[in-house]
Amino acid sequence: MRKRLFYGLLFTSPAILGFIIFTLGPMIASFVLSLTDYNVFREQTAFVGLDNYIKLFSGEDDLFYKSLGITFYFVILRVPAVIIISFVIALLLNMNVKGRAVFRTIIYLPSIVPAVASAMIWMWLLNPDLGLVNSFLSTLHLPTSNWLYAEGSVIPSVVLTTLWGIGGTVIIFLAGLSGIPKQYYESIDVDGGGWYSKLRHITIPMVTPTIFFNTIMTIIGSFQVFNEAYILTQGGPNNQSLFYVYYLWRTAFRDTQMGYASALAWVLFLIILFFTFIVFKSSKSWVYYEGGERT
Amino acid sequence: MSPMLRQRKSISVLLAILMMLIAILSGCTKPSSSTDSSNVSTPAKTASSEAPASGGTKSNEKITLRMTVWGAPEEVAAYKVAIAKFEKKFPNITVNLQHIPTDYDTKLTAMVAGNDVPDIAQMESASIAYPLAEQGKFYNLQDFLASDSEINTGRLVPNISYSLEPGNIIGLGPGPESFALFYNEDIFKDAGLTPPPSKASEAWTWDQFVDVAKKLTIDTKGRNANDPAFDPKSIKQYGVNFGTWWGSYSNFIYSNNGDFVSEDGKTFALNQPAAVEAIQKIADLINVHHVAPSPVQAKNIPATNVALQTKKVAMAIDGQWVSAGLAQSKFHYNVGALPVMKKPMTTVVCGMFSIFKSTKHPKEAWELMKALMDPDAAIDMITAGTWMPSYRDWYTDPALLAKWTEKLDSRPSGYKDAVVNVLLNSSHQTPTGYVKNFNKIMDVVNPALDKVWLGQQSAKDAMDSIAEKAQSQVQGRRDVKG
Amino acid sequence: MRTSKLTLTAGYTALLLISALFIIPFVWLVRSSLMDLSQIFIMPPEWIPSPFHWDNFYRALTIVPFGTFFTNTIVIVVSVIVGTVITSSIAAFGFSRIQWKGRDTVFGILMSSMMLPAAVTLIPSFLGWKILGFYDTYYPLIVPAYFGGGIFNIFLLRQFYLTIPRDFDEAAFVDGATYFQIYLRIILPLSRSVLIVVTLFSFLGTWNDFMGPLIYLKSDKLYTLALGLQMFQGSYTAQWDLLMAASATVVLPCVIVFLIGQRYFLEGITLTGLKG
Repeated sequence: MRKRLFYGLLFTSPAILGFIIFTLGPMIASFVLSLTDYNVFREQTAFVGLDNYIKLFSGEDDLFYKSLGITFYFVILRVPAVIIISFVIALLLNMNVKGRAVFRTIIYLPSIVPAVASAMIWMWLLNPDLGLVNSFLSTLHLPTSNWLYAEGSVIPSVVLTTLWGIGGTVIIFLAGLSGIPKQYYESIDVDGGGWYSKLRHITIPMVTPTIFFNTIMTIIGSFQVFNEAYILTQGGPNNQSLFYVYYLWRTAFRDTQMGYASALAWVLFLIILFFTFIVFKSSKSWVYYEGGERT
Repeated sequence: MSPMLRQRKSISVLLAILMMLIAILSGCTKPSSSTDSSNVSTPAKTASSEAPASGGTKSNEKITLRMTVWGAPEEVAAYKVAIAKFEKKFPNITVNLQHIPTDYDTKLTAMVAGNDVPDIAQMESASIAYPLAEQGKFYNLQDFLASDSEINTGRLVPNISYSLEPGNIIGLGPGPESFALFYNEDIFKDAGLTPPPSKASEAWTWDQFVDVAKKLTIDTKGRNANDPAFDPKSIKQYGVNFGTWWGSYSNFIYSNNGDFVSEDGKTFALNQPAAVEAIQKIADLINVHHVAPSPVQAKNIPATNVALQTKKVAMAIDGQWVSAGLAQSKFHYNVGALPVMKKPMTTVVCGMFSIFKSTKHPKEAWELMKALMDPDAAIDMITAGTWMPSYRDWYTDPALLAKWTEKLDSRPSGYKDAVVNVLLNSSHQTPTGYVKNFNKIMDVVNPALDKVWLGQQSAKDAMDSIAEKAQSQVQGRRDVKG
Repeated sequence: MRTSKLTLTAGYTALLLISALFIIPFVWLVRSSLMDLSQIFIMPPEWIPSPFHWDNFYRALTIVPFGTFFTNTIVIVVSVIVGTVITSSIAAFGFSRIQWKGRDTVFGILMSSMMLPAAVTLIPSFLGWKILGFYDTYYPLIVPAYFGGGIFNIFLLRQFYLTIPRDFDEAAFVDGATYFQIYLRIILPLSRSVLIVVTLFSFLGTWNDFMGPLIYLKSDKLYTLALGLQMFQGSYTAQWDLLMAASATVVLPCVIVFLIGQRYFLEGITLTGLKG
């Protein structure tokens, strides 16, 4: 027992130490700052207690609830889309086809191409008048949309633009798929089952640890969406894409209200923590570890 | 394996990790710069000098000045030219130029927080210049200007100095930028229309402008906007391209005798008739006359020089910095005075340089500032078209004027009247320079304006709907006492 | 895995379609890098540059000291990869293969570091490093890699380690192996795919990181490639043609690294010799 505690701590000591040295300090600092009216440029900083938090929750700052709602909507749309699409693509990339390496690289490429290139292309593709997407839809006599330029459609449009960057998630699924022993599939073949059987009884259960990882990371990442607002929409039109972290960053670095921004950050922290905790707890019932763990 | 051996194995793991740490901490590349990296015990001191004594105007002590800038390689090159000239004039001073390639505000904020502040910094009035100034971080350049023999406020072109309040100048722009009406000469020739006049006194009225724009807005079937069968959904060539940011529309608010806030600075003014009328007229270009692209379509329109060259637009209202691109595109372009609503007007926008109060060498920093403002040092950027000079005599003295406006691709025939004279005689400071709390006010205004540009709401309704909220953000003007 | 011809063909077609979609940004990047500035933003886009501006590459890479930036970046990236792979796998082992009291709570606390937006810890972190005397050095960028290399990697590895059957460990214990030997001889080899992924992500993350170098460095001779790319933004316009050429060059090593790395994703391991 004590030996395991000793070794457990030993192995994890670099990470724990790293957390204490590099992360804990700044986290505590930002929490303390959230209880002040810290403005980086000002000499004196006054302790204001929970004033910042009261201001946020009371609705005095209407952009707080607005940006929170917008971000929630984004997360709800994006997480399932990313997980499902990445998984399907990973399944495809796992097949033993010719040129697999090339396919894998191509799908990963958009995640390493500079963000500005992807942004430019989406602006063209989603252009209401000249863009490919609307042209394609209208040839099929389907309704078109104003995509990024209309209040109602801007968030789904932003979700769409992030789908190019799923290369990382796909790769992780691929690595997960590669850990499934071949024998298991062979046993289904023996029983006469087809691809659906394999998927349902072997692949998905075996890959739940990876689904779990990708889900958590996508949730955490989606709540903190920033670049799309910064590069593509600047929060518009009519503040309908004012994502929370974009709003936070603007408060911190344009308005220089670092104390208030820290309060905003900690509220988001608690929200993300809450949802991550829920997913963790739920994992006991749907994640299967062959190592026999139940967490 | 015996327990002893097991223990030894784990200890060796520990040792291995420890050794790794030590190896890294001591063996990693540690560059040779920064003498102030371990100034934990010394009180807040800037990294600006290695001199034993501070102050002292002309002396033989070695002084290092540090300045931060942003910008593309050619802009940085221009600053380096100015610095080289400066270092030649003052051999005991070295200038350390720090180029911050991106996220300038974030980086500078971190530097200020860490007490690692340069002597001179490039600043932008729309972002952190005033937050810094309000905390007293900058020198009042008025004092320097008043006692300087080489330059004073009179020598500078109007609207390039930024004040925190009357009498407290916190930044000077190395070169102004103003707005004008650029156009493709061939389009006018082919259509048989008279191009926009370059003299402000002869400038088109708004209605004349709309009229010409309509004739030059052509759909894919060749019909112009006056034609009853005109199809606004398939426009091949727009009459005019018009940015919908505050830089662009401010020109017309001022031209219509309107403003962002009232003269005493106490009241929000974009919902007043003068401003509302200006905004509505601009919005009508998009939604009523269909001569300008909406923000939706504007994303299709490339940069002004390409748009004009490829005849996507016949005219473009843009900042004069586009001259550089226009100069490099080989086609017949020219520039005219902006259409006038009630009086000719252009907004002047530009960055600035400010001197941090924490500098140990204010006098030397001031000399460097002067060197940066000297048009001769920036002559390459000026002749290329990107910049304009800061000294008034470069606009009024024919010999100096010729240096940067004659026989240059970046300065077509209309330039002197449409840009130079307008800047001298009918220019207005950028709203970011005198409206306090500008950003927060615009956070309220911009979403409402989005609706106006998209034709979803009239300017009056939009501005009225947010007037109260905008008013709560108004904090006064910087050019008015009190 | 034996799949039917139909499934394969269907899958292949799907892959072709998806790849066609996904390759667009890269094609746009390459064609822009060879174009004249005036052609880049024409709508609808032109896909073939005319003429081909090969000089964009020469100009982009010389106008700004990319040679120095490249060397700097390599130094940082290699240091980070080494530290990350070693310490994250060791830590993940501790969080998954050893049962100890409080393990999951500690893990949860470490996970929380990803949940606070970086904007508000930027300045405290910067001040911390500055006080230690490491401003304008590479230490802030490298040292944390040797302390776990980020909870993302630890979490990822932990998930994989948890899928490895305990039988291996137990058999090894019976033979008298230490935890460290289990780590080295059993877990590491079995987790090759995911370790490659960690290496890949480390490489890419560090290669493209500009925020870290921006905040912690001030001498431009220390700047990295990612910062160099940002230099093409001017006050009013950006030099897109040079920026695209530079970006294409900077992306190339990433593509190569990826092509090499992805070969190691085996599809399925065999469990023969389980009890050996």
